Amino acid sequence: MGQIFHQGIGLYAKLALLGLAIVIGAACFAWRGVVTDPHRIAEPVNQPVPFSHKHHVDDVGLDCRFCHTGVESSAFAGIPPVSTCMTCHSQLFTDASMLQPVRDSWNGKGELRWNRINQLPDFVYFNHSIHIAKGVGCESCHGRVDQMPLTRRVATLNMSWCLDCHRAPQNYLRPREHVFDMGWHAENQQQLGLDLVRKYQINTSRMTDCSLCHR
Amino acid sequence: MSSLTPSSVLGQARKRLQGSTGARFWRALEELADDPVFRRELGDAVPQLASVMSMDRRHFLQLLGASLAFGGLAACSGPPGGKLVPWISQPNGMTPGVPQFYATALAYGGDVLGVLVESRDGRPTKLEGNPQHPASFGATGPLPQAAVLELWDPDRSQQPLHRGHADSWDAFAQVAAKLRMDCGQDGSGLYVLSGRLQSPTSMAQRDALLHRFPGASWHEYEPVADDNAEQGAQLAFGKPMVSRYHIEHADVILSLEADFLGDMPGRVAHARAFAGRRDPSSPMSRLYVAEATPSLTGSMADHRWTLRSADIAVFARELATELGVNGSKAIGGSGVSAARVKAVAADLLAHRGSSLVMAGESQPPPVHALAHVLNEHLGNAGKTVDYLEGNPRSSGNLADLCMALRRDDVETLIVLESNIAYSAPADLPFAELLQDVPQLIHWGLYVDETAALADWHLPATHTLENWSDLRAQDGTTSVVQPLIAPLYQGRSVHELLALLMGDTTQDGLSIVQQHWQATLGDADAAAWQHSLGRGIALAAPAAAMPPPTQREFLAGWQPARQPDDALELTFRPDPTVWDGRYANNGWLQELPKPLTQLTWSNAALISPALAATYALHNGDVITLEHGGSKLEAPVWIMPGQAGRSITVHLGYGRRAAGRVGSNLGFDAYPLRSSAQAWAAQGVTITKTGRSVELAGTQQHFQMEAPAPVREVTLAQLMAEPDIVGRDNVTPPSFYPQQPPGEYAWGMTVDLNACIGCKGCSIACQAENNIPVVGADQVRREREMHWIRVDRYYAGSPENPSIHHQPVPCMHCEHAPCELVCPVGATVHDQEGLNVQVYNRCIGTRFCSNNCPYKVRRFNFLQFSDLTTESLKAQRNPDVSVRNRGVMEKCTYCIQRIEEAHITADKAQRRIADGDIVTACQAACPTQAIRFGDISDPHSEVAKAKASPRRYDLLAELNTRPRTSYLAAVRNPNPALGDDA
Repeated sequence: MGQIFHQGIGLYAKLALLGLAIVIGAACFAWRGVVTDPHRIAEPVNQPVPFSHKHHVDDVGLDCRFCHTGVESSAFAGIPPVSTCMTCHSQLFTDASMLQPVRDSWNGKGELRWNRINQLPDFVYFNHSIHIAKGVGCESCHGRVDQMPLTRRVATLNMSWCLDCHRAPQNYLRPREHVFDMGWHAENQQQLGLDLVRKYQINTSRMTDCSLCHR
Repeated sequence: MSSLTPSSVLGQARKRLQGSTGARFWRALEELADDPVFRRELGDAVPQLASVMSMDRRHFLQLLGASLAFGGLAACSGPPGGKLVPWISQPNGMTPGVPQFYATALAYGGDVLGVLVESRDGRPTKLEGNPQHPASFGATGPLPQAAVLELWDPDRSQQPLHRGHADSWDAFAQVAAKLRMDCGQDGSGLYVLSGRLQSPTSMAQRDALLHRFPGASWHEYEPVADDNAEQGAQLAFGKPMVSRYHIEHADVILSLEADFLGDMPGRVAHARAFAGRRDPSSPMSRLYVAEATPSLTGSMADHRWTLRSADIAVFARELATELGVNGSKAIGGSGVSAARVKAVAADLLAHRGSSLVMAGESQPPPVHALAHVLNEHLGNAGKTVDYLEGNPRSSGNLADLCMALRRDDVETLIVLESNIAYSAPADLPFAELLQDVPQLIHWGLYVDETAALADWHLPATHTLENWSDLRAQDGTTSVVQPLIAPLYQGRSVHELLALLMGDTTQDGLSIVQQHWQATLGDADAAAWQHSLGRGIALAAPAAAMPPPTQREFLAGWQPARQPDDALELTFRPDPTVWDGRYANNGWLQELPKPLTQLTWSNAALISPALAATYALHNGDVITLEHGGSKLEAPVWIMPGQAGRSITVHLGYGRRAAGRVGSNLGFDAYPLRSSAQAWAAQGVTITKTGRSVELAGTQQHFQMEAPAPVREVTLAQLMAEPDIVGRDNVTPPSFYPQQPPGEYAWGMTVDLNACIGCKGCSIACQAENNIPVVGADQVRREREMHWIRVDRYYAGSPENPSIHHQPVPCMHCEHAPCELVCPVGATVHDQEGLNVQVYNRCIGTRFCSNNCPYKVRRFNFLQFSDLTTESLKAQRNPDVSVRNRGVMEKCTYCIQRIEEAHITADKAQRRIADGDIVTACQAACPTQAIRFGDISDPHSEVAKAKASPRRYDLLAELNTRPRTSYLAAVRNPNPALGDDA
C-alpha cells in the first residue's frame, strides 16, 4: 500500500497544530482581558484631575471623612461632591490648569468623571459603615493612600481576600479611634484583635454566611 | 385540556364530594373530578417537558452541547467599566446609599391612600403605606404597589403632540391664548371632561374656570365610580351624604354585593378593621354576603349566598320586611330561603347598634337607600356607619356632554386624564362623536385611544412627579409632593389649567400652596412643612348628623323580578388593570387575578352549571349579545358564580395602551350601557366553537399536601382549642440540627386574616427586582413571583367556601433543596435562612424539583430587562438582578434583615422585634404576615407561632419549615345549622 499522505503534508499538519495552539492561547488571553479588572493591582490610575491623596492626606492633613462623608453611615463611603473641592479651591490654586475640570463642573460645563479604582461585582453587597464601626481601618483595604500621588488598588478584592479577614478578623482589627489613621500598628495584634472581637461584639460564627454579602 | 365534558366534570366532582368526609380542598374543577388526564399533567413535574420527551438521542446531545457552550460564553463577563460622577453639590440631608422616605398621597382605583415613597439617591423605587394616614395604617395593596412601575414605564407620553406630530408646550401656550380670546367673556362652546376630581386644588380651579367662563361646562366621568351610592344617599337623605364605615365596631355585617375589601373606596382601612374583628380570641364578627360573582369580601364570608345581581334587591326587600321596616313589602322569590332571611334578620336585630348593612356599587340606588334605612332602623347610624356631607356637584355628567356633542355645541373639548374613546358606555358613542369636535385637547399619561383622536395631546406628569393634593374617602386630605422632577415634558393638571386660564401663577407648587394658604388662612411655612412631613394636611372631619331617612322611595320601588332562566351579565372593574388605566403595567398584568388566577387577560366568568348546560370548557369562546351589540369572550368556569349570571371584567381589549397592554383580552365596554352600567339583564350566549388558551395559574406549583389550608368554625375551636394543632408533630431526623445563630428568623401567615388581595406578591416584586415573563411564559408555568397566593375551594362547586394562601419560601430547617444542589448554591445560614447564592447557581433545577412547596423560580430566559434605561432606575439597588439560568426564591427580604443587622450591630444592641418588616408584611392590609425572631418568646411572630391555630405545611415530610400558617376560622350562624 502506498503512502496515503503526501510527504509535504507534515508541514501543514505542524502549522495547523501551531495555529490551533495560537488560537487557544489568544482565546485565553482575550478571556483574561475581558474578565479581569481594567487596572492591575498597584497600578496608578490616571484621572481627569490628577488628584493626590498623598498631598491632601499627608501634606494637608485632611481626615478621610472630610470628603468620604458617608463612610460611617452608609454602604458607600461616598465620592465628594464638587462643592467639597471648591470649599478650598475657590480660594487656593484658583487658576491651576489641572483643576480646570473641577471648575468646569462647578460652573455647569460638563461633569467630572472619575475612573473607578476599587470595584466589586454586582452580586456583592459591601457596607463601609459596619466595617468602620467594628474597627477595620481604611488602610487595611485601601493601603497607604497617604502615600499615593495617584490612587491605586492594593487588594484583589476577590472573595478569598475578603474571607482572610472574615475568618480571622483578629488579625486586622484596630481600635475605633485608629480606624482612620494611616500607618498604625498594634504592638500585639493577636491579643488586641481578640479583645476587640469581644469588645465590639463581633459574631464571628456568622461572618462566613453567604447571606452576609450576597443577596 | 381535560378529556371530560364539563357536565361530567361537575357530575364526578359531586360524586367525589359525596364520598368524602371532612373538608377537602381543591383548586380546579378537574382536580376535584380526579380527571386522569389532569392527574397525568400534574404528575409531570414540568408539564411543558412533554414535548421534549419525543426528542431523539442525537438531537438531545446536540442541544446539550450547545447549552454548555453558550452557558460557558454567557458566564464570561468582566467587571463593568466604572466611572464615578460626583454631585456638584450634594442635597442637604442626603447620604448616597441611604434611602429616604417622603410622605405623599396616591389616587388609585377609585381610592386615595397616604403613602411613603422610598427614594434611592433621588429615584423613587418603592411605595409603603403611611402609618399615620387613616386610609392606610402603613399598608398598601396591589394597585398602589404597582404605581412605581407606572412612573418608570417607557411607554408613557413624553412630549406634546399636535395631530400626532411632536410639538412643544410653547406652541400650545399660543393655542391656549387664542382659546381664551375666542371664548370671550362667556366661554360657551368650551367643554371640559375630567375623571372624578379628588384634588381640592383641582376643584377650586374648576370653580374658577366656570366662574371666569360662565358659559363653559365641566363634566366628570369615571367608568368605575360610586354614582349609585351617591344617588342612593340622595334618595334616602334628600342630600348627598357620604358613608364612612366603622367595621371595627360591627359584630354582624351584611354585604349586599358590597366588596368593601376588594374594590370599594377605603378598602385598605376596611381590611385592617375587618381583620381586627376576626380574631377568635376576642369577640368575632360575622359576615353575610349576597353576591353574583365571588369577590374578596365574599371569600371571607361566614355565609355567602350566590344570587343574580338583580335578585339582591329582591332579597334586600325581603329582609327589610322581615326586620319590620315600615313601608317595605316583600315580593318574594329572591332565591334566598325564608329560613336564611329569618336568621339574618334575627342576627341583625340581636346586634342593634353593632350591625352593619352595606350595599355595593353594582346595586341600583334604591338598594343603597334601603341599606341606609336598615342601618337607621337597626340603630347603626353614628356607630358602625357615619356620614359626611357630600359636595353638591358643579359638574355635569357624560350624558349631558354627549347631548352637547350631538347638538354641535362643542367648540373646544378638553379631556383631562380620561380615556373616553375607550371607556364610554355603548350608548354614548364617544369614539365617533369626538371625531367631529372642532378642537379636541387631551391631557394624559399615555398616548391612548382618546389621544389618537385629539388635535393636541399633552403629556401628564405622574403623581410621583408633581405637586397636588388629594382627599381620601374619609375626608383626610394630603398634599401630594413630587419625588422626582418630571422625567419627560409632562405638566400637572394644575399647571395645565393655569396655562389655559392664563393665570399669573403657573408653577405647580405655587398653585397648590396658594390654594392651601387660602384654605388654612394664615398657615405659616412651618405648618406647610409639617403637613408634608406627616403626609396629612387636614385630618378627617367629624361626622355630620344625617337627616332622618325618607322612606317614600320604598313605595314606588318594585325591583323587577327576572325570569328564573334569564341570563344576566354583570360588569366589574378588573382586580388588577381596573378600568383599563393600568393596562400597560406588566406587574399588574402578570399578577394572577384574585379568585380566577388568570393573568394577562379577562374572561367571561360563568357558573359550573351554566358551563354544563352549554358544554363549555375553560377558554371556549362564546358570543355575548345584548341590546344589539355583541362581543366574543373566552369563558372561565368560576365556582361560586351565581347560576344564571355571567361576569365580565372591564379594562381589557385596549387598542393603544402601550407595548405591554395593547390587544389583550376583550373589551367589555361595548355591552355596557349607561342605564345598566353594572348588570345587563337578558343577555344571550352562543358558542363559537373556537377556543383560546388562557394564561391561568390556578393549577401551577401544585403541592402534594393533603390539607394545605385548614379551616375550623369558631364553635369547633371553642370546644376543642387544640383541634388544629394537635396533629403537629416533629418527627425525629437523622439530619444534623442547623447551627443556631443569634436569631432565628421565621414567619407566620394568618389564613384567617388573609383576604387574598395579592398586595404581597406585587410588593415582593417591587422590592426584589422580580421580572415579568409574559403570557406565553405564564402558560408554561414560568411566572416568577416569589410569594404566590394560592386559592383553594372547599365544598360544592356551586357555592364553595374560598380560601387564600400566600406561599413564600418556607426556609425549611431541613431543606430538601440544599441536599441536591451539586454546587452548594443553596445553603443555610446561621440564622436559619435558606439562602440562594446566585453567582454559584449553574441552573440544574434539581432544587426546584426537590422542593415540596414549589416555591423556587427559575430564569428560563433572560427575563430581567437589562436594556430599557427607565426600568433600571426602578430597581432596588440592594438586591441582585438575576440573569438567565439562575434559580431564585423568597429570601425573607434578606436585604432588610442585613440592613437591620448592620444598624443594630453598629449600635451594639440586639435587633428589636419589629425592626425588620418584610416587603410582603409591610404591604399586607390585614397584617396577616408576621416576621421576626422565633427564638425570642416575646416577639410577635413567636406569639403567633404559639397560637393553637398554628400548623406547618407538609410537616409530615419533616422539612421543619420556618414559615407557619394559622388556620382560618369561620363564624357561621348556629341558627342556620347545615343550611349555611
